[in-house]
Amino acid sequence: MKVYLRKAISMLLTLLAVSFIVFAAFEIIPGDAASSRLGSNATQASVEALRHEMGLDRPFLLRYFSWLGGCFRGNLGTSYSYHMPVAGMILEKIPITVTLTILSMLLTMAVSVPLALLSAKYANSRLDRAVYAGNQFLMAVPSFFLGILMTWVFGMVLRWFKPGGYVSYKKDFGAFLGYLILPSVAIAIPKCAMSVKLLRSAILSEANRDYVRTAYSRGLSTMEVLYRHVLKNALMPLITFWGMAVADMIAGSIVVEQVFNIPGLGRILLTSIANRDYPVVEAVILLIAAVVLLMNLLVDLLYRRIDPRLRAE
Amino acid sequence: MLLECKDFGIEFHDHDRPERAVEGVSFSLDAGEILGIVGESGSGKSLTALAIAGLLPRKKLKKEGEILFDGQDVLRMDRKALRELQGDEICMIFQEPMTALNPTMRIGLQVEEALRIHHREMDAAARRERALSCLADVELPDPEQVYESYPHQLSGGMRQRVMIAAAMVGGPQLLIADEPTTALDVTVQAQIIKLLQKINRKEKVAILFISHDLSLIRQISHRVLVMQNGRLVEQGEVEEIFEHPCKDYTKQLLSAIPRVEL
Repeated sequence: MKVYLRKAISMLLTLLAVSFIVFAAFEIIPGDAASSRLGSNATQASVEALRHEMGLDRPFLLRYFSWLGGCFRGNLGTSYSYHMPVAGMILEKIPITVTLTILSMLLTMAVSVPLALLSAKYANSRLDRAVYAGNQFLMAVPSFFLGILMTWVFGMVLRWFKPGGYVSYKKDFGAFLGYLILPSVAIAIPKCAMSVKLLRSAILSEANRDYVRTAYSRGLSTMEVLYRHVLKNALMPLITFWGMAVADMIAGSIVVEQVFNIPGLGRILLTSIANRDYPVVEAVILLIAAVVLLMNLLVDLLYRRIDPRLRAE
Repeated sequence: MLLECKDFGIEFHDHDRPERAVEGVSFSLDAGEILGIVGESGSGKSLTALAIAGLLPRKKLKKEGEILFDGQDVLRMDRKALRELQGDEICMIFQEPMTALNPTMRIGLQVEEALRIHHREMDAAARRERALSCLADVELPDPEQVYESYPHQLSGGMRQRVMIAAAMVGGPQLLIADEPTTALDVTVQAQIIKLLQKINRKEKVAILFISHDLSLIRQISHRVLVMQNGRLVEQGEVEEIFEHPCKDYTKQLLSAIPRVEL
């Protein structure tokens, strides 16, 4: 219990540090919300007046702590460019990015585990070498390029879907899911390639362990040995990678969202940075940081679940 | 005759030149007998054991001669027929009890695994009952608790007992023990030897006991094979070999045993 309390406190401190760094970054980069709203033709005096009106002329630390105080009272502030409460804006985007991440993760898991098992079972066969070559290639191709390629092939040549025809989840959840399939494939492919590579080599190194020989001595078939004994032990490095992958998908699907015209968290983050709309940027970044921290915690818990030796303490 | 090894040999083909690891080994083992194989490391004793258990790698290696178990040739059997024997009729325990068990699987499931494969008619409750009685047979205190434990919670001696319980669970005819006590303390060694002798008497299981330790071999075996450089040097009744060795190599081995004069 004490361990979890310590973890919770350190997570909170991390989030505080992240929020401060983001705030500081906006101090350093040129331009602010007032000048970006008025555009480049505005006079110095009008920018100054707006800055005063928005409270941007107050000292840096004062602004940070007044924003922070608001956060603790559950008020994430108001967007400078959309004039809407930030909390509501973000809440509306979360289901989109989360759905995209879940779909991508499910695809990654469902495809990579059987493929790695096959590849390991027939190590150095033609199949294994083909998977290896495919993996090397797909790991090197960025998601957004795959996205562009898929939009062209499936959207424009085959006409299986309408490029840019995003449907809101509020309007038609089925159509929304359908539209997200291709983007999630684009996100999943490089992750999947990496997962196959990691799991295959973990399986092959586990396969030389003594307990595997014991399992064979009991009359198990190769597939039974792999599924019942090796897989669980070989899953550890993969779980670490998957934890990172989820965090990466929440934060890093920006470009894929852009390619497929999906109004998710990535999109709102990009426009808000351009508008120097720091309440929104702060909220999105904090959300991403929280996801990263939570994923680390989850990976930790899964480790304990899988390996009884870690449960000892 | 339970096991008959006729002119058995192994040649490795994983380097430029073929390498002979075992050559012209012939012996037999009766049901219920304890046969010891003694030899230095590299004498081919463990390879012979692995071959009988059907655990030799399938590639880059040539097997010669025959190993007949109940009249069937283990070396040329198809994999499926071999798996029918493994864990049911032929079982094996290994040198390293610390690593021979799966670290992420509860002891109970590992002990009853052979039943899952070979006795599909048994339900979970029946398997558990059989596993618990095997754990009790190998003299583990509190079998219920051991059943729920993970390997890292047990000592080396306890793990080797668990390995023996897992091997005996299907009631095999042959138990191959490859240096089963080498990694253990001397006191634990003696306990494991006693346990193997008791199991041999009670369950009528034949034991192929492999060791480099002459005093252990003398203590447990009915008959002994002496191996050197992949060949059989000498074989015979245990007292005969130890009291009247014929071959020079056996004499040298025996003279290397430190004696404590009282």
